[in-house]
Amino acid sequence: MEGAKLGEVAVVGGGIAGIQAALDLADTEFKVYLIERSPSIGGRMAQLDKTFPTLDCASCILTPKMAEVLRKDNIELLTLAEVVDVIKNGNKFKLTIKQRPRYVDTNKCTGCGTCVEKCTARGKLGAPDEFNEGLSTRTAVYIPFPQAVPKKAVIDPNICLRLRYKRGCGICEKVCPANAINFNDTERILNLTVDAVIVATGYKFIDPRLPELSIYGYGKYPEVYTNIEFERILDARGPTGGALIKKDGSHPERIVFIQCVGSRHYKINPYCSAYCCMASIKQAILAKEHEPKVDVTILYMDIRAYGKGFQDFYNRAENEYGIRFIKGRTAGITEDPSKKKLIVKYEDVMRGTIETMETDMVVLALGIVPNIPSFLNRLGVVRNGRVITRPGDPISTYVDGIFVIGATLNPTDIPDAVLQGSAAAARVTEHVLRRKTPFEVMRS
Amino acid sequence: MRDKDVRIGVYICHCGTNIAGIVDVEEVARYASSIPGVVVARHYTFMCSETGQNMIKDDIKNLKLNGVVVAACSPALHEVTFKNAVKEAGLNPYLFEMVNIREHCSWTHTDRRLATEKAKDLVRMAIAKVKELEPLEEVKAEVVNSVLVVGSGVAGLSAALTLARAGLTVYIIDKRPVLGGFVTRLVNIAPIGIRGREFVKPMIDELVEMPNVKVLTNAEVISVEGGVGNFKVRIRQRPTYISDLCTLCGYCEKACPIEVPNEYEGKLTMRKAIYLPFKEAYPPKYVIDENACTKCGKCIDACPVKAIDLSVKERYIDLNVGAIIIAVGHEPYEPDKGEFGYGLTRRVITSLQLERLLDEEGPTGGRFIIDGKVPKTIVFISCVGSLIGNKTTNACSRRCCSTITYDTLKILSKNPDSHIYILYRDIRTYGFEEELYWKALENGVVFVKFEEPPKVEVMGDKIMVYVREATINKNIVIPADLVVLFVGMTPSNAGEIVRIFKLSRTADGFIREAHLKLRPAETPTEGIFLAGAAAGPKGVMESVIHGAAAASKALALLLNKKYILREPLVAKVDEELCSGCLICVGMCPFNAISVKYVGERRVATVNPLLCMGCGTCAAACPSGAMEHNGFKDKQILAQVRAFAGVVV
Amino acid sequence: MSSEYEPKVLMFTCNWCSYAAADLAGTSRMKTPHNIRIVRVMCSGRVDPQFIMEAFAQGADGVIVSGCHPGDCHYMEGNYKALRRMLLLRKLLEQLGIEPERLRLEWISASEARKFVEITTDTVEKLRKLGPLKPRLDYVRKIMEEVVK
Repeated sequence: MEGAKLGEVAVVGGGIAGIQAALDLADTEFKVYLIERSPSIGGRMAQLDKTFPTLDCASCILTPKMAEVLRKDNIELLTLAEVVDVIKNGNKFKLTIKQRPRYVDTNKCTGCGTCVEKCTARGKLGAPDEFNEGLSTRTAVYIPFPQAVPKKAVIDPNICLRLRYKRGCGICEKVCPANAINFNDTERILNLTVDAVIVATGYKFIDPRLPELSIYGYGKYPEVYTNIEFERILDARGPTGGALIKKDGSHPERIVFIQCVGSRHYKINPYCSAYCCMASIKQAILAKEHEPKVDVTILYMDIRAYGKGFQDFYNRAENEYGIRFIKGRTAGITEDPSKKKLIVKYEDVMRGTIETMETDMVVLALGIVPNIPSFLNRLGVVRNGRVITRPGDPISTYVDGIFVIGATLNPTDIPDAVLQGSAAAARVTEHVLRRKTPFEVMRS
Repeated sequence: MRDKDVRIGVYICHCGTNIAGIVDVEEVARYASSIPGVVVARHYTFMCSETGQNMIKDDIKNLKLNGVVVAACSPALHEVTFKNAVKEAGLNPYLFEMVNIREHCSWTHTDRRLATEKAKDLVRMAIAKVKELEPLEEVKAEVVNSVLVVGSGVAGLSAALTLARAGLTVYIIDKRPVLGGFVTRLVNIAPIGIRGREFVKPMIDELVEMPNVKVLTNAEVISVEGGVGNFKVRIRQRPTYISDLCTLCGYCEKACPIEVPNEYEGKLTMRKAIYLPFKEAYPPKYVIDENACTKCGKCIDACPVKAIDLSVKERYIDLNVGAIIIAVGHEPYEPDKGEFGYGLTRRVITSLQLERLLDEEGPTGGRFIIDGKVPKTIVFISCVGSLIGNKTTNACSRRCCSTITYDTLKILSKNPDSHIYILYRDIRTYGFEEELYWKALENGVVFVKFEEPPKVEVMGDKIMVYVREATINKNIVIPADLVVLFVGMTPSNAGEIVRIFKLSRTADGFIREAHLKLRPAETPTEGIFLAGAAAGPKGVMESVIHGAAAASKALALLLNKKYILREPLVAKVDEELCSGCLICVGMCPFNAISVKYVGERRVATVNPLLCMGCGTCAAACPSGAMEHNGFKDKQILAQVRAFAGVVV
Repeated sequence: MSSEYEPKVLMFTCNWCSYAAADLAGTSRMKTPHNIRIVRVMCSGRVDPQFIMEAFAQGADGVIVSGCHPGDCHYMEGNYKALRRMLLLRKLLEQLGIEPERLRLEWISASEARKFVEITTDTVEKLRKLGPLKPRLDYVRKIMEEVVK
């Protein structure tokens, strides 16, 4: 049996949950197709500067896992690829996958970045940099982020001058030392047949521009940030090179974090997004580490420090870092243009008063919703916008062989996503082995 | 010097213009070829390309190279690529060294002359190291395709089932006389509403029917030796005294004169010294409480099938397993007498006692009554033993908030007239369980936030709860008919487990995982995995997942595998030089170093399967006996000397 | 001191954090002083004081040992061991007449390319001010020889 493949599995989504599932399956001798929509795996975690409650640098701990994906012979990585349909066919699943063109030959590209340096579509002609949440721009040919896997360039056809006008520019093609640019690349439809499918498509943030959230002034006041934007500002790889500065380049004297934006909200998300209390505490601590003089306040409903090491982290934020915690909901944010300050109006529940606070920056802890791919709807495992799984086995759906993990199921932090990734790999092993050779494997 | 006949090939990559644009690659190659021992030095546009790799392979074969240096990008990118190329050409891949002249040189410098000088220095240092390198073979060890699961709660059962379904041999042991663990005491698991005992029953039923599963109850691990793939475990099994002949007729129980409080029922009722732990428990037989039994023998006389033998002694079982999963769970916090009025009246109870009172199988048949009366005003105090109380873990127990809200809804469905107060610090119904909190609010449950722990005063029939409501900042008094202390999770026997398995604990007292974020189902010791509340507070569903995740790690290690391969870049002892001081033993964070005797002489020895290759022991060794393969003293010193231009 | 004096610095980095930070500095095209030569070890805990003594003896003007931040060590606690050894070694250097600031121990995580640049730049600047180690070593050697006599 040594070296023989136990079966073939599709893992949909290359965030930390999907990566973990793929790695465990590869180690258990499955053939794995890891299907990722964007040009690189890594998901949301790749965008994080640090993780709570250990303050581990996210890229330090994630990058080795991403590199391992590339090294495994039995993982086939499909980037820029989306699963459009899954059809159950006996014991197998037939997948239809749409893969967008990269316009770069991944076999030739060495990730050197020469093309990126020379690309003419930059600045105003460029596009918002997804990795930096649009706080900076990127070129038409780009490498998503320094630790991207695969570390290969990709061309954005929407802004590439050559691809838009079918002529001209083409400078990347000329400068590429490896002749990797291919403007004739086209969309492909791939078909796969697999024994099981693991869905790890993650989550979407609540749109802070929703009318119900207009009180927070996001999009209206430049110094109101979402928490993922703020994460990019804290990150040394981010738009400010890790400097905690406002858009005008000055240092903030005060930062206010607002919790439960779109979560625990009767009109938007009635549920709790589970990650945000700790994420804000982490960001508050990091802000203090960047600028020890900055005054940091967290406006919260309840501090949900429920996981391992969380309570201790919360206590340290309050006692060692001097972060101010105020229980209360925010009524609204306005601006004092003369002072260039934002004014947060909130209820201080513990004092029973309505207060206002001047601040330089506001960070909104955004709620999240499961990102459920449409094929799951067609497989009939989704009800009221949630994936339905078996009671007693939260990752197994009622379609044998379809497993759903991570934030696709419900709000999940990194350790739980990792555990569910591994657990899904185990479920696939059970599923395939029990079906194939129930007697052969029952050796004592 | 490794060998007088050193034959090294040096390969300088242009990386298009990435390197060649700043570093004069021709000059570097010319310089390299001037160094003694270098047989060939070449430069090429892309060393990582097929052509580049073939260049190296051909030279190895044609020029009989016995060392290779590639100066290109970061080893993080292509060390594996070149190692494989070297190996494919028939040369030991550990005779290869990579030099980073892209990230560390051409990309970070602008001055062509200085960058070229730096590249030359780095290449010279690598050549010096390669001269001292030695061929290494991967560590290969046979594995035993079986797993020991310690603990038979939800996490342990989940892990064992997955492993057994995949075909591995599984030993599952529990220190208690029956399987199922803590969850068997729950009336309803929030939020799915299944009775705990019934939740684990199908798992146990399936497991015990499998031919590749062996169950040992009343059993504990007392020692562990060996390492990943091949652990030798000694287990002590205390006698059960009752054989499989037992028909559960119950005559023994009637005959037994000893009565003790029944833990399963939260000590709300009494049981005999010989007893049935709970309905449909596995193994399906009576058990004897060793601490209570006086060995009077009345049960022996009463037993119609002669199933009882009180002369049975404890026994020792030696197992050989490839991996171990620790799933020893937690213990609920037991309040001290007088803590929040506990133990002073029957009407201050813990959340576990509440579970039993709500259970139709419980002491009241599911009628929610205390002392024959329906409690009208009920006060819940949360975080007892977690964040407040005499002894705390100073950590959140994670599951209580969801369970409290769920329990209040159950009470209200039984007694709609109840007045329920929940005294809390923060309500932590994370994720979708927030909806339970909303339902409780909608059903009139009053939530009282405290900062200072509440006080409970028991005055005869009356219980008064004093609390400063933090949101209105007023002292309030609640006369209660029943006070429920929601007790947190504390580590179960973690001290002993940590000692036996050579693990460590986190500040909250639970067992430490290999990495809190990315390796939550592993311990720092390879082959020993972690599942469930042993690692910290967890819910039932979370334990199911944690168990399966730990099983996944064991499957990856053992399923269909005959042996495991490990990088040989580990520590190694020169027994001739070792003085037996054993400083290294204390340095090793992985317990990979132990003592052995060569004749009379005491020396250190490294288990290459446990060694993770950090080299801290080598740095500490006063006699130079401990060496780190691939990073030996002489290899690093050669680099250091070459740094100053000394080329030997 | 000649204005052309350029210090030579040997840097030991752990494989997991600090080496990766140097990689990131390169990927981000940050400019670092050209005086640094890196020796990669798996863990800062591998750095034997004799490597550092040898480096000084062979003409290094400064040595940097860099590992993961406390608590982040890939091998649990190797960086703490490095810390203990370096503290002792700095005392020893002082007794030998070598300025202890020629030996630096730093924690640089994989994302801290900027810190890598700052520390290497700062080290080179400080060493420029201190001047070369060689004359001092010769002096020390001479005294030692006299003591032996």
